[in-house]
Amino acid sequence: MKLRNTVIQQQDATRIREILARFLGESGADAALLIDRGGQLLAMDGVSQALDAVSISALAAAAFSSTAAMAQLLGEPEFSVLFHEGTKHSIHVSTVDDEAILLAIFDERTTVGMVRLFASEASRAVGGVLGETRARPKPPGEFAAPLSETESRPAWTPPS
Amino acid sequence: MSVINYANRVIDFKIVYYGPGMAGKTANLQYIHRSLPNSNRGNLISLATGDDRTIYFDFLPVSALTVRGFQTRFQLYTVPGQVQYDATRRLVLRGADGLVFVADSQFDRLRENVESLRNLEANLREYESTLDEIPYVLQYNKRDLPNLAPVTYLEFVLNRRASRVPFFEASAIKGKGVFDTLNTVSRMALASEFGGKRERRDEAS
Repeated sequence: MKLRNTVIQQQDATRIREILARFLGESGADAALLIDRGGQLLAMDGVSQALDAVSISALAAAAFSSTAAMAQLLGEPEFSVLFHEGTKHSIHVSTVDDEAILLAIFDERTTVGMVRLFASEASRAVGGVLGETRARPKPPGEFAAPLSETESRPAWTPPS
Repeated sequence: MSVINYANRVIDFKIVYYGPGMAGKTANLQYIHRSLPNSNRGNLISLATGDDRTIYFDFLPVSALTVRGFQTRFQLYTVPGQVQYDATRRLVLRGADGLVFVADSQFDRLRENVESLRNLEANLREYESTLDEIPYVLQYNKRDLPNLAPVTYLEFVLNRRASRVPFFEASAIKGKGVFDTLNTVSRMALASEFGGKRERRDEAS
């Protein structure tokens, strides 16, 4: 499958945020992360500053890809849900579409059944927004001109 | 693939360090992690075996320049080099915006380098991609060790596509060449987003 770049415009981000907020309200989950299957974080809601969302995204995408590979070994197209149960916090990861997954973090104030139910609805809704986003060409704007010499300077300086 | 987010004005890129086992991919990320201030990098996550061989991947997010109002960030990954972890390498490769092929410069590792490069090309085909489409650079690592193949020979064996790519001599464990490699591949990935064509070796040096 040929992968595409993702361009999230302001209006896309607002719609995704609304869907994630509604999902959190209905399911009782604490946080929701929308993640590209390559490991990039696309959007999130309810995430505390203490949570390393970038690392969680990379690890969740990898874990979900691994289970997909296991599913294929069993002749299944995919395991559509991944669930990790902890003593205080649990994680539920589910398919959005071929290019994204939805991760929810929740505790004992709700149940995996509730999270699963509303994650399915939220995934359909957010998948629709992502579909529109990917179908749209990248707006030229800031990206039209090649990088200048200054913009091409080394980003990091090695320690001396 | 890159993610451009207008809401928070961020562009995220994924860079994958590929190469045979024990070539120094993890050493690159460890040196970057040690060298950058906390404000410019996140946590280094290593999924390794008890004897420090990478079993899944290493992961290090780093932030870079702000370009035209967009903060640029790069997620650095390594793949497990050992032959038997091919399925894992393929998964980590998904969505890469830039590649660093870390070769082991020792003469007796030439075969492993070639096999790993072929494996990279095969795994890219799974994503309907090729090395001609993704910015990539070569790093000839372990230049501090004895029994080295000359760089000209490594170039002849590993950098022989129609368009040659930038290469760097390195000793990743000591930090030599690590940031030259990172700065170049990140600049190439960034340039590919801004209407610029992919840089070749002559332009990058």
